[in-house]
Amino acid sequence: MKFTIALAILTAAAARADPASFQKDVLPVLSERCGICHAAGNPQANLVLASHKTLLEGGLSGSVIRPGNPDQSLLIEYISGEKPRMPKVGPPLTPQQVELIRRWIVEGAKDDTVAAGSSSSTWWSLRPLVKPPVPKLTARTPVDAFILAKLGEKGLTPSPEAGRRVLIRRLTYDLLGLPPTPEEIEAFLADRSPDAYEKLVDRLLASPRYGERWARHWLDVVHYGDSHGYDKDKPRPNAWPYRDYVIRSFNKDKPYARFVEEQLAGDILFPDDPEGVVATGFIAAGPWDFVGHMELREGTTDKHLARLLDRDDMVAATMSTFVSLTAHCARCHDHKFDPIKQEDYYSLQAVFAGVDRADRPYDLDPATHLRRQELLRRKLPIQIELQPYLDKVDQATSPEIVQLDDQTREWRQELAQLGTTKNDAEIALRKTLQEKIDQAGKRRKELVDGVVGPATLAEIDRLTRKINAEDQLLEKLPKPLIVYAGSDFFDRKSNFRPSLVPRPIHLLVRGNLASPGPLMTSGTVSCVNGLPARFADGGDEGSRRAALAKWITDPSNMLAWRSIVNRVWHHHFGAGLADTPNDFGRMGSQPTHPELLDWLAVWFRDDAQGSLKKLHKLITTSSVYRQSSGNRPDAHRVDSENRYLWRMNRPRLDAESIRDSALQVSGKLDLTMGGPAVRQFFFKDDHSPTYDYARFDPDSPEAYRRSIYRFIARSVPDPFMDRLDCPDSSLLTPKRSTTLTAIQALALLNNPFMIRASQHFAERIRKSSGELSGQIAAGYRLALGREPAETELRMLVAHAEKHGLENVCRLIFNSNEFLFID
Amino acid sequence: MTRRNFLWNAGGGLGGIALAQLMTEEGLLAQAGQHHPAKAKRVVQLFMSGAASQCDTFDYKPLLLKRSGEAWDPGEKVELFQSNPGLVMKSPWAWKQYGRCGRWMSGLVPHIASCADDIAFVHSMISKSNVHGPATFMQNTGFILPGYPSAGAWVSYALGTLNQNLPVFVVLPDPRGFAPNGPANWSPGFLPAAHQGTMIRVGTPHPIYDLFPPESAKFITRESEAEGLDLLAKLNRAHMETREGDSRLDARIASYEMAASLQLSAPEVLDVSAEPEATKKLYGMDREITADMGRRCLTARRLLERGVRFVQIWSGADNGFPRRNWDSHEDIARDHGDMGTSMDQPVAGLIQDLKARGLLEDTIVHWTTEFGRMPCSQGSKGRDHNPFAFTTWLAGGGIKGGVAYGATDDWSYKAVQKPTYCYDVHATILHLLGIDHTRLAFRHNGIDRRLTDVHGEVIRELLA
Repeated sequence: MKFTIALAILTAAAARADPASFQKDVLPVLSERCGICHAAGNPQANLVLASHKTLLEGGLSGSVIRPGNPDQSLLIEYISGEKPRMPKVGPPLTPQQVELIRRWIVEGAKDDTVAAGSSSSTWWSLRPLVKPPVPKLTARTPVDAFILAKLGEKGLTPSPEAGRRVLIRRLTYDLLGLPPTPEEIEAFLADRSPDAYEKLVDRLLASPRYGERWARHWLDVVHYGDSHGYDKDKPRPNAWPYRDYVIRSFNKDKPYARFVEEQLAGDILFPDDPEGVVATGFIAAGPWDFVGHMELREGTTDKHLARLLDRDDMVAATMSTFVSLTAHCARCHDHKFDPIKQEDYYSLQAVFAGVDRADRPYDLDPATHLRRQELLRRKLPIQIELQPYLDKVDQATSPEIVQLDDQTREWRQELAQLGTTKNDAEIALRKTLQEKIDQAGKRRKELVDGVVGPATLAEIDRLTRKINAEDQLLEKLPKPLIVYAGSDFFDRKSNFRPSLVPRPIHLLVRGNLASPGPLMTSGTVSCVNGLPARFADGGDEGSRRAALAKWITDPSNMLAWRSIVNRVWHHHFGAGLADTPNDFGRMGSQPTHPELLDWLAVWFRDDAQGSLKKLHKLITTSSVYRQSSGNRPDAHRVDSENRYLWRMNRPRLDAESIRDSALQVSGKLDLTMGGPAVRQFFFKDDHSPTYDYARFDPDSPEAYRRSIYRFIARSVPDPFMDRLDCPDSSLLTPKRSTTLTAIQALALLNNPFMIRASQHFAERIRKSSGELSGQIAAGYRLALGREPAETELRMLVAHAEKHGLENVCRLIFNSNEFLFID
Repeated sequence: MTRRNFLWNAGGGLGGIALAQLMTEEGLLAQAGQHHPAKAKRVVQLFMSGAASQCDTFDYKPLLLKRSGEAWDPGEKVELFQSNPGLVMKSPWAWKQYGRCGRWMSGLVPHIASCADDIAFVHSMISKSNVHGPATFMQNTGFILPGYPSAGAWVSYALGTLNQNLPVFVVLPDPRGFAPNGPANWSPGFLPAAHQGTMIRVGTPHPIYDLFPPESAKFITRESEAEGLDLLAKLNRAHMETREGDSRLDARIASYEMAASLQLSAPEVLDVSAEPEATKKLYGMDREITADMGRRCLTARRLLERGVRFVQIWSGADNGFPRRNWDSHEDIARDHGDMGTSMDQPVAGLIQDLKARGLLEDTIVHWTTEFGRMPCSQGSKGRDHNPFAFTTWLAGGGIKGGVAYGATDDWSYKAVQKPTYCYDVHATILHLLGIDHTRLAFRHNGIDRRLTDVHGEVIRELLA
């Protein structure tokens, strides 16, 4: 991974030499500061400052902009000076803001917006996908032809091919996230056949370790975690089947379209395939506001807010992951930079209006699976019929009930306050309290029954019987497996209940729940030419998700195909061809090699039929990938960031690769695949659970599993992994940042895991030879994939003689060579 | 244009940027120049987790005293977090006027009250959520969702360090446990990990994770460590020689040197034993109930005077039972009593000590919580959540003392004058640090993100 630092936007165009942009510089200021009074509808002075067109049209006082002549532009007169007349609300615009608007007028007041929803967009990512011709150059692969052509344009030349030791280390880390073993290195060095390299790529792609490595990239993008996050941060014990599904899908080389469709609507599109349910773990992968959903009462503002934000997360994850759009920026207003309307955003909310994140049963046996899903579905209409009666019960109240509830609460709290009872008096008190609570419960039921009346009770009874009948049939089936996934139907728990029918979604003016606009139907963004932006779903929850899935995977959805090949490229080279993998909009980066990106997208869709392994092979067998990572001052002067790939980048290992490598090198790596997340912390369940990493034994079996199987506690990340730049699991992370800090150095030096790994490493190499020099050489082969140089060996042997082999092993783990891959 | 500025504007290449970013030795604005002259250099934030009641501390309402015990009718339907509104309930503590400013404060916070003339109160705070997790995120990051950088991380990103040997942003959690959201409250979000709050567990045997090898690692001795680090530097330099032009390799060598200085300076700064008894007493370290918070506040002062930019001190742990934070649904007198007493003297001691040392002038003290509590009772003795009104206060670093901004209605139920979200408070703090909050931004997934989202105005009334 390239050493990446996102661009800091301190001064926007104020410090830029390029022209002021209406879209980026002027419109945001106008809409934020002037929009309150000068929005369409009933604007002050009949002046609408919401678009280029209306701004140029002017208002009651006529034109407010004279292109080229700021001093004769009324707008400038109103917003500048000691005490500007506008804006009336809040402080004056900053001198920088005024200066930008002025400059924009000087430069001709040009319109550089893409009209929202315009159907003839020329923005690069929205252009239809057409396979460009491969440049006619002598090159190993078409990929190389594109790269060479661009290098030539820039006056650059490629670097020579790296040596075999470098190549096998680079490839093994890239594809498996682990170092090659000394035996594997020797075998590759000894293989003189012309296709030795291709065979190596094939071997690595066939390894189950490949799925584990690339699933980690995917789980970053979809912000997977094993706890809910937020307040309390309860464990999510059934999240892992989705993690295993992702690993399996990569290893099986599932066609990408199918992979996408399963994650959004596998339960609907592939009802006879259990994977279809497990895959919808995607929808549920992000954080979940436990208190908001479980504790808040139905009908309250905060309950609506919790659901709004929950759907927002689903929308953001879906559109960022699959089509690299920031659709979630249109929650409060039309997208300020991209052609995404607020209506589009709320249509996307409507897609998820019938799903929640919940445990969901599934079966490995397809027949059982089908039967269970069918029985579950049969319960749905009965539940829908039952719900209004249950609502009556929920809402039943009387002064006596209120009083009883308050009293019961106090008793419960007294009980909770008691904690673990210590003596007889406390045990007696606990018993008394419990009895009081139980009696109050019975009394409450009587009171509620009285309020709702016998007719309602009879209906509840009748419908509950019907549900029980279905439940009995369900119970006859073998015990199901459970995955935490997108669920339209589940048993009610506390104040968390399924929608039964999709919840109504209104457009929210300014994103405000208190200002509902028109009712929305399901749909998606309207900027993708040739595809419908609104779905005919007949009000059915599943059809909505299925329609969105099919919209994404449609061969003519240029965004989806560009998005995935760019992501894969990013992980191979450390930077995408477009370096903002989650944003192909105007705030994102433009591709360095747009033709290559398009060629790859079409090739991947058509020729490779969505096979990621074919894509990996195409890229990793290219000459550009095989280049040396060495610096060349001449090329560095032209392209210091290596955007045009005149050499290979030199990534620092990510947190998981460091940890897994330490395990493999020290001989402790447990390659067991899959299953429940391993808890590499001390855990205590409580009102708010405890996750304590300091109290974990780094020699317990859980410590030896690959990092992808770690339990990821969102609120309390593992400090060791955290310091190695493992991202916040509540964030959609298309690319990780790489930092080098003192705290990170201390983690690698002193974390008990690294200390124990050094000891195991020493133990292992001690067996390899009778001599210290032989032992250290073995250590170098295992950790660094090479023989030590004579001077290195001399120094390290001396160090080992004096301080023991463990200290030498600790140094190797802390060396730059261990962390940076040439 | 400075070299550093050039690098930022160029989007960060491989050049000197790696070194510059290391240890956040310089913040983004350090060399480029702050947006305007700063009044303050550092911040200490005191976070009352669980929701500290405004109407039992700083928001005086005669009507509550007068109508206590009567049915409550604020003239609209009240939507509460857990309960139905109970009777009007006055505070269990008596109110008195303090200082030249004559501010009314409750008997729960007499020590802080004695600093009244140094403090600027914002009585009209409101929150976008009445659930602890989202609301706590909001006060820390400006967003009710997880995944955003906290204020301390932003300040670290903008200003960098004043001391190469210590972290820029330090967090001193309540030893009884993490507040809602845990360490995610001091996450760097999408900012580089270097800007994360470094947690220091004051008073424990290993206050900073991995600062030293575990005792069980007998193979590491003082001598092996010294010689080993020398040897590591040699190996790394040899490795670098054949890989010219990659400053990260250099940066990583430097990171081990900085780690060594942190090992030297951290134990010194955390050791409060040599502080005079009178100082320890000032912070309440001589009384059991205030000893822990006192020690953390004193540690904060030591960190601040050695150049740590941002210290966050938590009063209150998770929402469990028995209560160990401010979430007093059941019994205000009992639970706020404990929390308030444990916090009051240490916080006042910190203000007084900073003042005596001349540090208060350029240190902002910010006391806050995630939302307030209701003026009516829950059950008979507790109070439910109130997102419509709470109090936050600021002192020092360019803040005008003895003033109050905004007001709640006669019940202390809703902010009616100048309702204020954390955006304005954050904007004001950044302003005092020389930062224009609208220009401190970081592009993430297509959006130029700010601590103040798209909101925020500096509260001029609070500025000295």
